[in-house]
Formats: sequence, structure tokens, C-alpha cells
Amino acid sequence: MWWRRTLPAVVALLGVTGLGLITVGLTADPARPPRPPADAPRRTHPAPDLAPLSRAAPVRVQITAIGVRAEVVPVGADAAGVLEVPPLDKPALAGWYRHGVSPGETGNAVLVGHVDSPAGPAVFFDLGRLRAGQQIQVTRADAQVATFTVDDVQSYPKDSFPSTLVYGPADAAGLRLITCGGRFDASTGNYVDNVVVFATRTA
Amino acid sequence: MKVSTALCSAALGVGLGTLLLPGAALADTTVSPATTPVGGTVVLTATTCNPKSGDALFRVTGPNRDQNVRSTTAAAGGGLSAELFTAGFTLGTYTVAATCGDGSSAGTATFTVTPIGGAPAGSGGDSRDTGTLAAGGTLLGTALAGAVILIRRRRPVSTVA
Repeated sequence: MWWRRTLPAVVALLGVTGLGLITVGLTADPARPPRPPADAPRRTHPAPDLAPLSRAAPVRVQITAIGVRAEVVPVGADAAGVLEVPPLDKPALAGWYRHGVSPGETGNAVLVGHVDSPAGPAVFFDLGRLRAGQQIQVTRADAQVATFTVDDVQSYPKDSFPSTLVYGPADAAGLRLITCGGRFDASTGNYVDNVVVFATRTA
Repeated sequence: MKVSTALCSAALGVGLGTLLLPGAALADTTVSPATTPVGGTVVLTATTCNPKSGDALFRVTGPNRDQNVRSTTAAAGGGLSAELFTAGFTLGTYTVAATCGDGSSAGTATFTVTPIGGAPAGSGGDSRDTGTLAAGGTLLGTALAGAVILIRRRRPVSTVA
């Protein structure tokens, strides 16, 4: 019987291949988010003269260039003063910093989103791929849509985060998108950088 | 009520002017820095108050707060100043209205209390590739089942020999 001799070989092959795949599966490196280039061109067009919108919470953000279409929930900061992000088990949500202005009001509105979660890439995974001139649309609770054009995308170490540029006062309606980036530090379980998108309202 | 609203917006206009034209003569109240992470200290200065007419009073209003701060030092560039420690402040934008010791208004300015540092917005993904794991598990399971069948079939042979 030919199978009496081949079957043990087949069984052994299956076993070895199975063990090999399990080893690979356990040690595979997850996909890392794109980084903004250090020499990315900055958009320097002046902001158009638009009447500021009144305050209304954002409900959805859409960035066609990188395929983002996400719901937005309000977030604050924790007791230690660190900006909150939506829960990790809801990685498709973006957060709106509710102590700041709303998108379309005069000043800088801040949206924050995860870059990844245990389930894989999250809502702002591709933020580092955005380039000056691309557009971001924010739908507000009052049904108005504010359109922002990207001015700049930068990466900052978390300990030199540009708080004033992100949260500080401005005389035009701006938008700031924040996510994590840079090297992942496995010892702390955190990325070492924040990627920040700077945008100005253009419609 | 209407009057106070109008006053407030006029005051905000002055505040904005202060921010847009730092160091300009119309800046009679300044806050430095204009943005601070929560827990940081800002210096409030009423540049036009004369220290000889008494302490200046800074009224700090904003989200969840309405407090008065008395000036403690004569500012280097003229006027009176006080330090304000923002620990426990709710995040957001605050307005500072200064009144000189002689009761005259010294204008207003705004400052913003921001979160500290960046955002913890990533988990680093998962270093387990579930698809590969499942495939490996299936193959290993089949191999084990095959081994069991082989051993059962061989048992009678080995007893005969």
C-alpha cells in the first residue's frame, strides 16, 4: 500500500509547516504608519476672507485623499492634563477637543484620532501621507460643512509638542489633526512622536 | 444684560488687538505666555497702571472660573504684574481684565490653557498576525489528526510482530 509510506511524510510536513506558520504569525511586525517627509512643501496661500461660523460640534470628518470618513465625538483631557482620545476599542472614531473652538469658528479646532489599535490601522493611520493643498471636510451638528485645505504636515516628539501652534489663538478658522507617529517604543507601549496636520478653512 | 454683552465683545476686540500686535502701545494688559499647558504659570501685566496708586487687580474669567488676582510686583517694563498658577484650571480660553489701584480700567487680554504634551493616539498595532496563526493552527491540527490515525492503524501490526 503506497499510502502507508507516504502518509507519515505528509503528516510530518503538515505538522512542520503548521508550526512554522504559527511562529511567523506570533512574531510578525504590524504595519507602521507613514511618516511625513521632513522637507514637505508648506502651502502659503493666504486664508480667504470667510465669515466665521458660530459654534457647533463637529459630527463627521472626511478626507478623500487618504480615504477617511469618520464619526467625531467630543473629548477633553484627563486629570493629568493629557488630551483624551476615543477609546481604543472604537478605533474608527475621531475626537474633537471640546474645550477649544469648533471647526469653522475663528481659532484652531483640534481633532484627534488613533493611528492604530490592536485590531490594526485606525482612523488617522494615513495622516502622515497628507500633503499641502489636499482637503478636509468637517460636517457640523448644524448641518454646515466646513472645508479646510492642508497647509503643512509635521512630526514632533511628544515632549516638544507645539501646544501654541495647535491650541493657541488664531485670527482665521483653522483645523489641527493629531495622531501618533514616529518610532514605536515597545517598552512604553507608545509612539514617540505626534503627527500634526495644519489646515485653514477655505470654503 | 444687553449692555454687558456689548461690553464683553468690545473687551474681546481689545484682547484680539493685543494678540495681533504684541508690544504695541495699545497693549495695556498682557498675559505671557498667551498659551500654557495646564499647571503652567502665566504672568499678568497691567502696563499702564502706576504702582504709586496701589495694587492692580486682575479679574480672571473663563470656563468654570471667576477669580481676582492682586498684583505682586512692579513690572520691569513699567506697570504692575502678578503670576497666575494654572494647576486645576479647566482647559480653555480665559479673559483677564485689569483695574489699576486708582480704579481706572487697564484693558483686557486673553490666554489659553491647553492639554499637556501630545496625544497617546496609538497602540502600536498587534504583533500577532491572526490570519497566519489560523492557517498554521489548521495545518497543525490536521497533522495531529493524521498522526492519531496512523498510530491506531499500526497498533495491530506491531502486536502481531
